[in-house]
Amino acid sequence: MRSVVIQLLMSFVGTFSFSVLFNVRGKKLLLAGIGGVASWGLFLLLESWLPSAPLRYFWCSSFVAVYAEILARILKTPATTFLIPCMLPLIPGSALYNTMRYALDKQWRHCLSQALYTLSLSLSLALGIIAVLSVFGVVIQILGRIWYYNRQKKAKEKEHTP
Amino acid sequence: MDFSRVLSCALDIGEQMLVSGAEIYRVEDCIRRICFAYGASHVDVFTITSSIVVTVQQPDGQRLTQTRRIESYKTNLDRVDLLNELSREICRRHMSYAEFLEKYQGILNKKPYPQWVETIGYAMAASGFTMFFGGTWRDGLVALVIGAVVKGVVWLVDAVNFNRVLSNLIAAFAMSILAILAGRCGLADKVDMLVMGSIMLVIPGAALTNSLRDMISGDTMAGLLRFSEACILALAIAAGYLLASACLGGAAV
Repeated sequence: MRSVVIQLLMSFVGTFSFSVLFNVRGKKLLLAGIGGVASWGLFLLLESWLPSAPLRYFWCSSFVAVYAEILARILKTPATTFLIPCMLPLIPGSALYNTMRYALDKQWRHCLSQALYTLSLSLSLALGIIAVLSVFGVVIQILGRIWYYNRQKKAKEKEHTP
Repeated sequence: MDFSRVLSCALDIGEQMLVSGAEIYRVEDCIRRICFAYGASHVDVFTITSSIVVTVQQPDGQRLTQTRRIESYKTNLDRVDLLNELSREICRRHMSYAEFLEKYQGILNKKPYPQWVETIGYAMAASGFTMFFGGTWRDGLVALVIGAVVKGVVWLVDAVNFNRVLSNLIAAFAMSILAILAGRCGLADKVDMLVMGSIMLVIPGAALTNSLRDMISGDTMAGLLRFSEACILALAIAAGYLLASACLGGAAV
C-alpha cells in the first residue's frame, strides 16, 4: 500500500517537473501532472484484471489520449501539450534498462526478449493513442453533422410558422 | 501582398512548430490552412523530420515552391501552443505581413523558464522517477544531485554544439558513473533504480511514441525517420551506460 502511494506521488512529481523542461506553462503544468498520476493509477488499478502489461498499456494510453483531447478542446490548445507529459510514467524506462543490463551481462537471449518486450510496450502505447484519435475525429464529425442538421431543421420550422 | 511572403511566413510557423515538437499532421495542416486563407488555389505540402517542401498555386495560376531544412529540435510545448493560436488567427482574419512578423517575433522572443528553474526541473524529475521505480528516499536525494549535474552536462554539450547522439552518450555516461559511484560509497541503496530514474531524463520516449503515431496515421516516411533516430539515441544511451560500468570494473552494482 505504501509503495502505491509513493508511486502515485512520484509520478506526479516526475511528470510535473518534466513538463517544466518541455516549457509547459501555468495551470497546464498542474493538469499535466494530474494526468500523469491518473495514467499510472489506472495502470495499477487494472493490474488484477489484466495481467498482460502491453494490454494494460493500451488502455492506459487510450485513457491519456481521451484526457488530452478533452482538455485540449476545453483550453483551446493542441492535444500534444498534454499527450507528451502525461505519457511519461508509461514510457518503458525500466524495460529499456533491463535490456541494457542483460547486454552488459552478455545474456543475449534475455537481452533480445527484453528488447522485443520494450518494443511491444511502445507499440501498445502508440496504438492506444491512434485508436482514440481516430474515434475522436469521427465522433466530432458526427456531432458536427447533428448540429448542422438541427440548425437546418429549426430554420425550416421558422419558415413554416408565419 | 506578395505571395512568396505568405509562403515564407507559413513556412516560418511550420518550421518552428516542427522544431518544438508538433506532429507532422499538424504542421502540414497549419501550412495548408494559411496558404488557403491568403487565396492559394492549390497547396502541396510534404514534411519529414528534416525538411519541409511546399508548392503553392497562386490565385493568378503561377506556381511557387519553397523548402526548409530543419537542423535541430528542442521540445517547447508552449511555443507549439502559441504558434497554433497565431495560425488560427491568420485564418480567421487577414493579417498584414508587418503585423504577422511582429507577433511571430514576439512568440520566438518569449523567454523559456530561466536556467535555475530548469535545473530544479531536471533534479526533481530524476528524483521523482527514481523513487517511482522503487528507489528509497536516499536514492531520491542522490538523484537530485545527478539531475542537476546532468543539466550542467547538457548545457555544456549544447554550448560546444555536439551532435545529439554524442551528447546523449555523454549524458548517459556521466549519470551512470555518478550513480555507480554513489552505490560504491554507500550513499545509494538501489543503483538499478537510480540509473533507471536518471535515464528517463534523456530517453527519447516522446520521440518514439510520436514516431509510431506518425507511422500509423499515414506519414510513414517521417515516422520511420523519427523511429530510427529514437533507436539510435537509445543505443547511444545504452553505450554510455555500458561504457561507464566498464570503466568502473564491469559490474553494474
